[in-house]
Amino acid sequence: MSFLDEARALLADFPVVDGHNDLPWALREQVRYDLDARDIAADQSAHLHTDLARLRAGGVGAQYWSVYVRSDLPGALTATLEQIDCVRQLIDRHPSDLRAALTAADMEAARAEGRIASLMGAEGGHSIDNSLGALRRLYALGVRYMTLTHNDNIAWADSATDVPAVGGLSAFGREVVREMNREGMLVDLSHVAATTMRDALDTSVAPVVFSHSSSRAVCDHPRNIPDDVLERLPANGGVAMVTFVPKFVLQAAVDWTAAADENMRANGFHHLDTTPEAMKVHRAFEESNPRPVATVATVADHLDHMREAAGIDHVGIGGDYDGTAFTPDGLDDVSGYPNLIAELLDRGWSSTDVAKLTWQNAVRVLGAAEDVARDLRAKRGPSNATLEQLDG
Amino acid sequence: MAELQDELHATAEVGELDRPVAWPEAESLDAVETDLGTDPLEQAHAFLAGHPVADGYSGLPWALRHLPWFDLELGESAVDTDVPRMREGHVGSLFWSLHLPEGLAGDRAVGATLEQLDLVKTVVHAHPEGLRMAHSAAEITDAQYCGRVAVLLGPAGADALGDSLGILRALHTLGLRVLTLSGASWASEAGLTRFGEEVLREMNRLGVLADLSGTSEATISRALAASKAPVLFTRSAAWALRPHPANLPDHVLVELGAAKGLCLVPLTAEQAGPSVRDVADHLDHVRALAGAECVGLSGTYDSGAAHPQDLADASCYPYLIAELFSRGWPETDLALLTSGNVQRVLRSADFTARAAQQRREPSTAKIAELDG
Repeated sequence: MSFLDEARALLADFPVVDGHNDLPWALREQVRYDLDARDIAADQSAHLHTDLARLRAGGVGAQYWSVYVRSDLPGALTATLEQIDCVRQLIDRHPSDLRAALTAADMEAARAEGRIASLMGAEGGHSIDNSLGALRRLYALGVRYMTLTHNDNIAWADSATDVPAVGGLSAFGREVVREMNREGMLVDLSHVAATTMRDALDTSVAPVVFSHSSSRAVCDHPRNIPDDVLERLPANGGVAMVTFVPKFVLQAAVDWTAAADENMRANGFHHLDTTPEAMKVHRAFEESNPRPVATVATVADHLDHMREAAGIDHVGIGGDYDGTAFTPDGLDDVSGYPNLIAELLDRGWSSTDVAKLTWQNAVRVLGAAEDVARDLRAKRGPSNATLEQLDG
Repeated sequence: MAELQDELHATAEVGELDRPVAWPEAESLDAVETDLGTDPLEQAHAFLAGHPVADGYSGLPWALRHLPWFDLELGESAVDTDVPRMREGHVGSLFWSLHLPEGLAGDRAVGATLEQLDLVKTVVHAHPEGLRMAHSAAEITDAQYCGRVAVLLGPAGADALGDSLGILRALHTLGLRVLTLSGASWASEAGLTRFGEEVLREMNRLGVLADLSGTSEATISRALAASKAPVLFTRSAAWALRPHPANLPDHVLVELGAAKGLCLVPLTAEQAGPSVRDVADHLDHVRALAGAECVGLSGTYDSGAAHPQDLADASCYPYLIAELFSRGWPETDLALLTSGNVQRVLRSADFTARAAQQRREPSTAKIAELDG
């Protein structure tokens, strides 16, 4: 039996819990939620990384659908509710493939039924508009993790990709983490500054997650996790879900992206500008400087290191599909997970190790957050602290 | 309303045999109705015990938002509504308004509405002996059988929608059952726009009742025609008796009666008048024009409005019912007034929603596409 066959057999028993998929945002941007125009029951490989057939082929058993909204526009809360509505519609439209999941028990039930457990994660604290009441209502609507920031700082937390402002979490930021613990919403530390990661680990009494982050020791990019933080995961009980985005995982791609951005700025464009003139400059750069390509092995290198630093009980997978323009060779879309598992088996990972990576760790973490929440809810009422009160 | 039994039965003394527990004699509705006495106030109390009031509008959530400490269970003098006074007034269920003060618009309104929803859930959760959340007519009845006052969510202001049907669905998921259309750009003087009609259709599909108090006549007649479920006026009295912008002219009351909607008469001095008799006059008028099936009560307590004499807080409903008794309202009409009609529109909205969901997908219409 080849490693790939073995991988598929393993995934049939312990399917992938993927920490981050931006399908809702892609549907919002491409077709304004016209779910007939991008029917995921049909082949969408021309437009999306994700559709039902490819999720099945990839051995996906649970998906945290990201209800991400941009942090640089007003109306984040409004847009987040629309994203949540989109996920609920997807679940309603495909009842034989998707099942709404709110708890670890729901995830297990979905696995037993052969459906894909569908969870929601909010990406960025801007989604709650500085309101703990709104945070609790997002939980009531089914959101089960919140990434504390996206690419920009928010008033109460520093992002990995912005200039340091509050130096981690502010007092209100710590209150947000405590309230998330009380609700049972996982604290997601992808995208945040290392200072914020450490503050959150100091504050949280529940396990944390990194919904889509890789290792900084393997590839030095601020979106990745430093070793000292990975080493704290055994004590915390959390899980770091490796991401595939080439410009975070491959050093050559990091350098190439930096050079490409610099070239854009030198030509008078913002580095994220996608207007036709800007893209012309970008394509010219790409022609003379071929884009480095990440592979399955690149991602496996990260997992080997993360396993070394955090332990086999604290690693997982968060592909960031439909949230990234480029993907590694062999991990081109959501059908690619078996290739990654085959590579790990080839490197000597046991079937027990793989089961922890794909399924068990992520399910355990959500269950642990529920236990902590039950405990805390018995001890204290909901907090209505405000940003003004705590950060003045 | 069934009362809570604190203790099932006392333990027997040592040495004494357990005595068989006597079952209280079964209380039938007939027994209540035939034994009402002759004093109107006694009659009212006895009647209300079997037909508790469904109050269509309470401003309590915003009033509580700014109280640093309160206890509705033991009685709270800072507000007009608490559990002891609701028991005294025979309030069986009430709609907690999520309306926001003016000036909170746009994304701020969406966030503030979520906070209000959160506050209601927290407050109800903190008073498990007195209050219980309800989302349907059946849950109201359940709550009453358990001796709890049922709390329903709504109306919320149209601002809370942020002009997005996705947010409407999210708010419905969080428990919202009534939405006020007035103030929306799509329900103006000119009537409902195309997007406004789509909002109404989506509300029908979900089972969210439309509250038309304060909307223009053009909007009212369009909504009456377009809505598959009955519409509500959560705070409207009779224009003929008191010309107030939110009160309804006679021909609208007739139209409402034909459409089997529901006009909830507010117990406020501004809209109804300064005395119990004035409120009763409005109820008489609405009943005469729209019919007994289309009139209900809206306490409007804790909303900042002044109330008629003798109707100062949630404990005062018996005075009003006594007045109606002395005016010769039959018990069947009173039963419709206090809660039957609210039950009917809630059931009807649920029924419409179930039927519509077979037929319609969630609407993805955008205001810019339909009204742009």
